[in-house]
This record gives sequence, structure tokens and C-alpha cells, in this order.
Amino acid sequence: MKMEDMSLSGLDNTKLEALAHDIYADLVEDACLGLCFEVHRAVKQGYFFLDETDQDSMKDFEIVDQPGVDIFGQVYNQWKNKECVCPNCNRSIAASRFAPHLEKCLGMGRNSSRIANRRIASSNNMSKSESDQEDNDDINDNDWSYGSEKKAKKRKSDKNPNSPRRSKSLKHKNGEHSNSVSSDPYKYAYNSGISYETLGPEELRSLLTTQCGVMSEHTKKMCTRSLRCPQHTDEQRRTVRVFLLGPAASSLPDVDGVVENDGYDVPDGQALMSRLQWDGSSDISPSDSASSKASTNNSDSKKPKKKKKPSLGLNSGTCGGPGSGSCAAVGAGTTGSGGGGSSQGSLGLPSRKKKPKLPAPPTPSIYDDMN
Amino acid sequence: MHGNAMKRVNMSKESQMRAAINQKLIEMGERERLKELLRAKLIECGWKDQLKAHCKDVIREKGFEHVTVEDLVAEITPKGRALVPDSVKKELLQRIRAFLAQHSAL
Repeated sequence: MKMEDMSLSGLDNTKLEALAHDIYADLVEDACLGLCFEVHRAVKQGYFFLDETDQDSMKDFEIVDQPGVDIFGQVYNQWKNKECVCPNCNRSIAASRFAPHLEKCLGMGRNSSRIANRRIASSNNMSKSESDQEDNDDINDNDWSYGSEKKAKKRKSDKNPNSPRRSKSLKHKNGEHSNSVSSDPYKYAYNSGISYETLGPEELRSLLTTQCGVMSEHTKKMCTRSLRCPQHTDEQRRTVRVFLLGPAASSLPDVDGVVENDGYDVPDGQALMSRLQWDGSSDISPSDSASSKASTNNSDSKKPKKKKKPSLGLNSGTCGGPGSGSCAAVGAGTTGSGGGGSSQGSLGLPSRKKKPKLPAPPTPSIYDDMN
Repeated sequence: MHGNAMKRVNMSKESQMRAAINQKLIEMGERERLKELLRAKLIECGWKDQLKAHCKDVIREKGFEHVTVEDLVAEITPKGRALVPDSVKKELLQRIRAFLAQHSAL
């Protein structure tokens, strides 16, 4: 027991060092022995010399150390400038662009279906296929047509100038004119506008109720932006409508909803007026509104404003009429709007200003846009 | 005589102590760890491949079929000991000393 209790610190440093070396030597010997056994077994089992091949084959796979070449002897950018022939369209394409080209060319791959769908949707809506030349023209024009106004992020993927499919794949669906015009802006990929010649009167009317429709001088196409498109004034829109549909159909439709514009102002105006639903301040006597509307529509429907609202025209007309009290009510919210001067101008203005107290939902929004 | 006896006793004490240390080394698993560490380092530094090449020569020399373990051991071990790089040796010694220092007091 005494021996065990004796601490190792009894050994002095040299002895400790010697001990350490001894331990080390043992470990090394273990390693050597391990290797010997391994080799001996490999020799006896016959797999020791398997990793050696003959000299000739060794030479073949020697490491290459020349400039411009990797260790296998291959040139680095050998295929960079090569051109491949596309099996689909037989065009010569650069190697680095080959894969994306093939994706578009064959119509397979993620983007191709998206583009195709968009084209179908747009050609359905426009009822005409656009050629590429006009597309480019329209983009270069200051006259913004619908296609070029599309969101930039969609543009990047679509407008691949190398793609040969831009003109080919725009499907021409002449037979399907009956599709309703939907105002999905993002679907109009390539088509930049419509030409009025290809559309029937029904088409035109329905188009004009939702789209700006102003014709570009360069291309004779109708602007496909919304009715509030900032590039064209209401005056222009009205002109187009007169031109296309006749003088009777000059009133611009209500923006808030797709209104079936029959071209008759009076029923439209009445419908709109009733729709406006001015709570608490609808003191407009029916006789007043009817009479003033009738008078107004014939004379004063060409108010120059950005937001073409027949209701607005009517209102200003109404205010100018005999019913000044009703005008004050019409321009509800303004306390002193009617005031003394019930002239058309003064009353017309306040009626256009934003009326926060006005409960009628559609009207304040119209007035907002006016300002 | 007394001195000799003392030396013997000291030696036996010493050897006992060494035996004790070795036992501790094994029991705590430190020896295994040291062995693995050494093996890994030797492979890393190419010592194993060097020796293997030497083995090939020896085998070709002695004749493929009649090589024995003893032959190999006799040829390889001294060379192996000599070929261990200094850095590996130093590191191992360091670890052993650390162990001894840590566990010298029971």
C-alpha cells in the first residue's frame, strides 16, 4: 500500500522525461508493427501489388503541367466560342446561350409556358397578333403603348432579343372576338395596342368602356391603358369615342364599374346619379335634376377634365341651374360653397374638391382624382 | 551493499511507478488516443507511404512468396523509427508529458 501511496512526483524530471520517451518509443513501435502486419497480409493475400500498372499506362495519365492547359491536358475555355446548331430551328447559337435558347425554342421549361400563356391571353384580348417590328417601334415611341408599359421585371425575362419565337409564337386567334376585354395589365406581353379596323362596333364599345382607346398617330392603334391613363387627356378619349362610335356615344363611361355604354347620356346620367347615393344631402329634387340634366347634356358635356365623369358634368351643370339650394346640397360638405354666387364656375369648383364629410363612396374618389 | 540494496529498491520503486503509470495510461484510454493520433499524423506526413515503398523493395528482394513477418519487422522497424518527422515526435512527447504531469500526483 505504501508503494501505491507513493506519488509519482517522487520521480524527478529526468526520470519523467525518460519515461515519456519510453512511452513514445513504444507507440512508434506499435505503429511500425501495425504496418508490417498489414503489408505482410497484403502480400500473402495477393493484393499488395495491385495498385501498380505498367509503365505505358502510367505515362498516359501523368499529370500535365503546361500553361493554358489543366492537369488532364484539356484546354479550359475550348467551347466558349463554339457555336451549336439548334436542331429545332437550325440556327447557329453560341454555346453559352444554347441551353436557354433551346428552352424557348422547344417550348419546354419554366418560362416558356408562362410566356406562351401570356401571349395567348393577350392575343385573345387584342384579337390581333402583333408583328415584332411594330412592337419595337412602339417601344421606341414616346407614345406609350400598352405593351411597353409593362412592369420591368416581366420585361427582363420576356424580351430576349435572341429568341426567334417572338414573332412566331404570337398566336393569331381571329375567330375569337367575343372574348370580353379584361383589364389585366400584366397579361399584355407583346401586343401594344389594337387597331380599330379589326374590331366590330360591339367590340369597340366594350373596349372603350374599359380602356383609354386614344389612337396613336404613328400606328393608328388604340391605347390599351386604363381610362385614367395619364398619357392622354379626356378630350382625346372623347374625340376617339366620337370618331368610333358616333356623336351620340360621346360620354365616357364610369370608371368605377364597367358600364354598358349604350351611348345615351340621359339614362346613363340618371343611373349614375341614383348610384351616387348622397346620404343626407341628397336634396336634389327630381324635377331639378331631370331638367337640368337634359339641358346640360345637350350643351355642356365637354368639360375638360382628366377624370371624365358624366356625373361631374351633370353636377356642375346642375349647380348652374335654377336650383342653387340643391347645388349647395350637391356640393355637400362645403358649408359655404353655394353661398351667394351660384354661378356655375364657383359651384363647379367646390363640387370637385375633396369632401371628407361626404359619405357617398364613389364621389369623393372622383373628386380626389380631379385634384 | 546497503547502497546497492537501496538502488534496487529505488529501481523497483521506479519500475513499479512506471508500471503504475502505464497502467493508468491504458485504463484512462489515453494510450489508445495517443496511438490513433500518431497513426494519423504519420499517414498525413507520408511516412506510411515511404515505408510501404521500402517494403516493396524488401519484398522484391526477398522473394515474393517467402516473405515472413519477422523479415519485414527486422527491415522496417529501424527505418520506421528513423523516418518519423520531428514535428510528430515533438507533439507526441508533449502530450505524454502533459499526461504525466497531470496524473503524477495520485
